[in-house]
Amino acid sequence: VSTIADPSLAPGGERKIEWAKAWMPVMNLVRDQLLEEGSVRGRRLAVILPVEPKTAYLAAMLAEAGAEVAVAFQGVMVHDDVAAGLAARGVEVFARHGSTHEEELRFFEEVLRRRPEVVIDDRADVIRLAHTTHPEVLDDLIGASEETTSGVLALRAMEADGTLKVPCIAANDARCKYLFDNRYGSGQSTVMAVADATNLLVAGKRLAVIGYGWVGKGVARRARGLNAEVIVCEVDPFAALEAHHDGFQVMTVEQACSVADIVMTATGTRGALPPAAVERLRDGALLANTGGIDDEFSVPALRERAVETRRVREHVEEFVLDEARSVFVVGEGVVVNLSAGEGHPVEIMDLTFSVQALAARHLLLHGRELEAKVHLLPHEIDEGIAFRKLETLGLEIDRLTDEQVRFRQSWEAFS
Amino acid sequence: LGSTLDRSRILDPTLAEAGEERIRWVARHSPVLNRLARERLGDGSFEGRRVAVVVHLEAKTAYLATLFAEAGAQVVAAASNAMTTQDSVCAALVRRGIEVHAVRGASADEFEADLLAAADFEPDIVVDDGAELTTRIVRRRPELAARLRGMSEETTTGVLRLRALAADGKLSFPAVAANDAWSKHLYDNRYGTGQSSIAAILRLTNLAGAGKRFCVIGYGWVGKGLARYAEGVGGTVTVVEIDPVAALEAHLDGHRVAPLAEALPDADVVITGTGTVEALDAAALRHLKDGALLANAGHHDREIDVAALGPGEEVRDGVTRHDVAGKRVYLLAGGHLVNISGADGHPVEIMDLSFSVQALSAHLIASRDLRPGLQRLPAELDREIARTKLATLGIELDAETEAQRRFREDWTL
Repeated sequence: VSTIADPSLAPGGERKIEWAKAWMPVMNLVRDQLLEEGSVRGRRLAVILPVEPKTAYLAAMLAEAGAEVAVAFQGVMVHDDVAAGLAARGVEVFARHGSTHEEELRFFEEVLRRRPEVVIDDRADVIRLAHTTHPEVLDDLIGASEETTSGVLALRAMEADGTLKVPCIAANDARCKYLFDNRYGSGQSTVMAVADATNLLVAGKRLAVIGYGWVGKGVARRARGLNAEVIVCEVDPFAALEAHHDGFQVMTVEQACSVADIVMTATGTRGALPPAAVERLRDGALLANTGGIDDEFSVPALRERAVETRRVREHVEEFVLDEARSVFVVGEGVVVNLSAGEGHPVEIMDLTFSVQALAARHLLLHGRELEAKVHLLPHEIDEGIAFRKLETLGLEIDRLTDEQVRFRQSWEAFS
Repeated sequence: LGSTLDRSRILDPTLAEAGEERIRWVARHSPVLNRLARERLGDGSFEGRRVAVVVHLEAKTAYLATLFAEAGAQVVAAASNAMTTQDSVCAALVRRGIEVHAVRGASADEFEADLLAAADFEPDIVVDDGAELTTRIVRRRPELAARLRGMSEETTTGVLRLRALAADGKLSFPAVAANDAWSKHLYDNRYGTGQSSIAAILRLTNLAGAGKRFCVIGYGWVGKGLARYAEGVGGTVTVVEIDPVAALEAHLDGHRVAPLAEALPDADVVITGTGTVEALDAAALRHLKDGALLANAGHHDREIDVAALGPGEEVRDGVTRHDVAGKRVYLLAGGHLVNISGADGHPVEIMDLSFSVQALSAHLIASRDLRPGLQRLPAELDREIARTKLATLGIELDAETEAQRRFREDWTL
């Protein structure tokens, strides 16, 4: 039995889930495969992801393939209509927009009480909960698959200190995930969310991206696509050099803040905008977070520093720093494509969630043979997703000829 | 205030605060209007003038209307398109003492009545979009046309209609082609429409731009912007044109150029930006592939032959699915201007330039006795807008050297 805000919202949510389904051809192929082979039939799965149309379709298609699925998530990223639509499809949902921290803990415990065999997790929240306060669920838990860069970091830390008791697949580290989701998905949706939320022009603006990982690369590229002048800030010399060779300006955060019209953080860590950098910000600067954690830059610190704050548009808050200077936070400092938009594009999530569904399948079939470590998704599975995506796009590619294969395998090839 | 409200037709005056919030955001990001236009308009030439502003009624237009009122004019505002009106902004305008005739989603009859109400306000000066009010004054209120000091036109489409009016001998008053000012069409039509239309398409669908095949119909300033921004979000572009010069330009800009029948079968997204009607007609629709998205970025809701699509089912807000010869085709924003029916329209900074052109055009009409007929904004005013914009950005320019001036002026050198 689900705990959701309002079951009567189901038709609106159903419509959104159907739209996602229509643009997820690889997921539909994966569903057919799971259904046909019966690999998830009767198995207990937990899906811990933002409750929006694309994740809802992941949960729904696993249920269609015969799994018993329970879903939970924190309230900030829950669409109540989608939660209702999902519940109406026979998935147990524990999530409502605006839930309290205590409720969220209860929601996660509800999911764990169902003794899931595999958890598809986000930021490793439920895996950590299972290992700390609910070790009784670990016997039934075969393994987990993790969605985010920051969650994978946490799992590796658990592995390193010997805490991790079940095998985990770093879904984030599959090529069909990070190459597309982190780069094109975050790039398009976060830059567009800032443009949409402000109704401002990007062309000619100086846009600073802090962090040049896959997300930062995507943001920089899409910002350039909208005719911005892009500045990259890094701590890693290789990434900084890469940014330089990609034709972007490279400078320190403080230097960037003193010239930027828009600052976007994509670091995956905290403290991206230290107080000294905030002091350099120009009047009118827009700040947004595109990274996986909610406090890449500290909105509370900004609030404390500000002499006055006010909401100026639906997703935009003004922080008056002094008489001559205001800065504007877009999307509350939470990842801006979800807080001020609808998240990643559907087709990108078709790839990401195919990775997740097949990672869950792999754990169900082979998890008991795997060590309690962080594993990559097997290469053939990753590659299989890419091939299926190409096929649904009607794109053909070449294969190595036998001679080329021989050349690559033979060290005497030059003789 | 009561009487302004009584004379107006708006949805709900209690929405005013939300509209005010939007207008304040616009004011903050409109440095050229705040500096140049406000100073120019305030010279007394608008005292007692009657101005009609008939442009998409959202926050940027509202701010322009407010500046005329601030300069001492009596102002009426009506919508140039029934689907793009923001009711909260209308409420805020009424609270600011401006008469408004506009409700979002007005029927054809209501839309007509609103425009005639703006005509019956008896304006001296019309700031028009698509020549919607001007053509109605000429046809339905010819006695007012005779008294009109002048009008200023926002769009390519409107300028075309004014040319037709002139050819017919009916343009008996001054008409400034604001659209043809560099400070307008080089930025508004290209970057403004480009960014906001592509963003609206992605937002309305939650789909990816990367890897999509875009077909852009029309390669004027709007089409150029659409093509550039479609590439900017990772798409590839095919351009459809009827003009050989524009087609060649598209080719050299690196786009594929093809006739409609060849461009449509593999297009994922088709966008019209032609300024005319039936750019996508019934015959063309048959070439679309399954799953194609259709959007219009041109002035009218007639660029796509919506009737030929047959009945549609709304599958997302602003997206209807149609069955065209057994294929699923998705129409965005009902074929209305996608950037403004689906969202807030052009970026604020772009409209700061466009409306500075409109403000200086209206000022010219208010302060001088212009000759009847179609005319451009004088180049010096146009350059002054660009110069002011650069100054507000803190961008400095070089000046021609003495040697360069001599070379330019003396052909014997």
